Amino acid sequence: MIYFYDGSKDAFLTAFLLAYNDGDATLTSGSAQLSIGSQTVFVQADFSRARRAEKRLLAIDKGSMRDLSVLLRSGDGDRDMVALDYFKFLAKTGRPVREMLAEDCVLAAAECMRRVGNEVHRFHGFVRFMETGCGALYAPISPDNDICDLLVPHFRARLPGFPFVIHDVKRKKAAVYDGEHTFLAPLDRAEIVLSAGEEKWQALWRDYYDGVNIPSRKRLKQMRGYMPVRYWKFMPEKKG
Amino acid sequence: MISESKLKILTESAKYDVSCSSSGSKRKNGGGIGNGYAAGCCHSFTPDGRCISLLKILMSNDCVFNCKYCMSRADADVPRVSATPEEICELTIDFYKRNYIEGLFLSSAVHKSPDYTMEQLLLTVKKLRTEYGFYGYIHLKGIPHAHESLVREAAKYADRMSYNIELPSEKSLKLLAPQKSRESLLLPMEQLRREKVAFQEEKHKGHFLPAGQTTQMIVGASPEKDGQIIRLTQSLYRTFGLKRVYYSSYVPVVRDPLLPDMPTGELREHRLYQADWLLRFYGFDAEELLEEDGDLSLEFDPKCAWALRNLHLFPVEVNKAPVEVLLRVPGIGARSAYKIAEARKYASLTFETLAKMRVVLKRARHFITAGGKFYGSENSAAVRGMLSSGVRTPVQMSMFADGQNALLSDFETARSALTGEL
Ligand code: SF4
Repeated sequence: MIYFYDGSKDAFLTAFLLAYNDGDATLTSGSAQLSIGSQTVFVQADFSRARRAEKRLLAIDKGSMRDLSVLLRSGDGDRDMVALDYFKFLAKTGRPVREMLAEDCVLAAAECMRRVGNEVHRFHGFVRFMETGCGALYAPISPDNDICDLLVPHFRARLPGFPFVIHDVKRKKAAVYDGEHTFLAPLDRAEIVLSAGEEKWQALWRDYYDGVNIPSRKRLKQMRGYMPVRYWKFMPEKKG
Repeated sequence: MISESKLKILTESAKYDVSCSSSGSKRKNGGGIGNGYAAGCCHSFTPDGRCISLLKILMSNDCVFNCKYCMSRADADVPRVSATPEEICELTIDFYKRNYIEGLFLSSAVHKSPDYTMEQLLLTVKKLRTEYGFYGYIHLKGIPHAHESLVREAAKYADRMSYNIELPSEKSLKLLAPQKSRESLLLPMEQLRREKVAFQEEKHKGHFLPAGQTTQMIVGASPEKDGQIIRLTQSLYRTFGLKRVYYSSYVPVVRDPLLPDMPTGELREHRLYQADWLLRFYGFDAEELLEEDGDLSLEFDPKCAWALRNLHLFPVEVNKAPVEVLLRVPGIGARSAYKIAEARKYASLTFETLAKMRVVLKRARHFITAGGKFYGSENSAAVRGMLSSGVRTPVQMSMFADGQNALLSDFETARSALTGEL
């Protein structure tokens, strides 16, 4: 059976219960290859079922819902199956399995979560704010994983006096800090008025970037390894 | 706002300083802008493969000293500029709030006099902390021959300070950097070490160089052997408690009959970093690694080379050998050694369990037994051959970039990933 769901936590937990004993289950929040005769079901989030599954998983492993939240943020194509296999194994084992890295499904989940965590760390460095006319900071990003709200605590701690918006343009949502509160909001396109100095600072930053490079040591591969090209779009030093 | 041309000149001259690390400070935001990120953070990478963490800039390139290898030396015919403290502060704040940088690495040529220069540096970092409310990372370069009261005061505002030892011997220093004496570099290091200890003992409020001191030396501009360099490194760690010693392979920017025309091979620099790593984390002494008048092997990494000279100590039994001994096995890094030590408490380890635990056995198997079994080669010539064929990668992975890696949160782990687990 192929189980479609919307990628939310409660729909996942509902589908988890449905698919628990289905050895042939394919769970997906994206598209799936349908072959003739394959059976499909669209799973809606069911609040009480989801709570039941949540309670059961939490009783086995206190960290299970944290794991789930990280896994569901993953942009990996197979993350739904990785999560399903991991939680099935957890439920069947009956105790935390996080350390059992010799199990393929545990290793796959661990790797998937590690990629999310790594990207958060990377973006602590790679986010580029622009100063808007009113002094707030605006940063468009397009990360592999759904992490924009996870970036907020870091920037809030270091820039408490600056309201800021971190805009995931791919997922059309934004994490906002208004100087007091943080919240997540859908955001398709942002109309930004830059401050008077913004372009000059960007130009100075580009000058700096060009200036510190040592041209006789060319290691483009290494540079791209640390800072993949797909992240360059919003970095002034890599544009134009 | 600082002018484009000034910024260019002041960064061009600062960029050969290899340290760009922003790790080691946990300074909290006190209501202004910024905080410390203990693990360090890379904000960008340049086409030379290096990480940009700090705004690395000189206050001035107008030097009264005459170090032969330096493009800012007094004799050089180059445009001279100096930035004001306000220009530096403003640049730091505006770069920082856009998340371009993790902080400031401020250095300077010796402008007018050592005291004048140090005063300017001090004024700048003090302003940045107190007037601009900056809590981000500050690495301040110390100016040799500056008055000790200025040094003491600066340490209250900086997270890290460094006096660069510049060259690995006093003789070379005299020849190539005639106005800098060994003493003018080592005395302030000792002063800061002493004062930091006192500060910690008296449990003062505030900060005193939370990220400690580092230094840097140029490798390959002068004839010292690796053996001398590693011995010097060891004494710098032991005597002054430095956090890091950086090596900068010589890049010719100036022609001088006293200087080589060719840059130093990056593999040499890489090997020095590996040996440095062994001193700091693997319990090796410089004397074990090489003779004073010898160089590190380019063919084998220093741990491998040591093991091949000491084959009589191997193989060791992974189920019994103390951690210190496991750490000396080629191919077993710190993480693997501790994993083994943990796992063997519960069950006797075999080669299969080691593989499952993801301990890389490619090199290690020649030096260990597991449950009495040996899977390596007994033939030492064959072992040498197998080991040397596997060490070509470091050439591309040279360590001249500061060892931070955005992928790895822990700075020192990143370093180990880059050096290649030994
Ligand atoms: S002191 Fe020496 S190394 Fe420093 S700027 Fe002056 S000439 Fe260059």
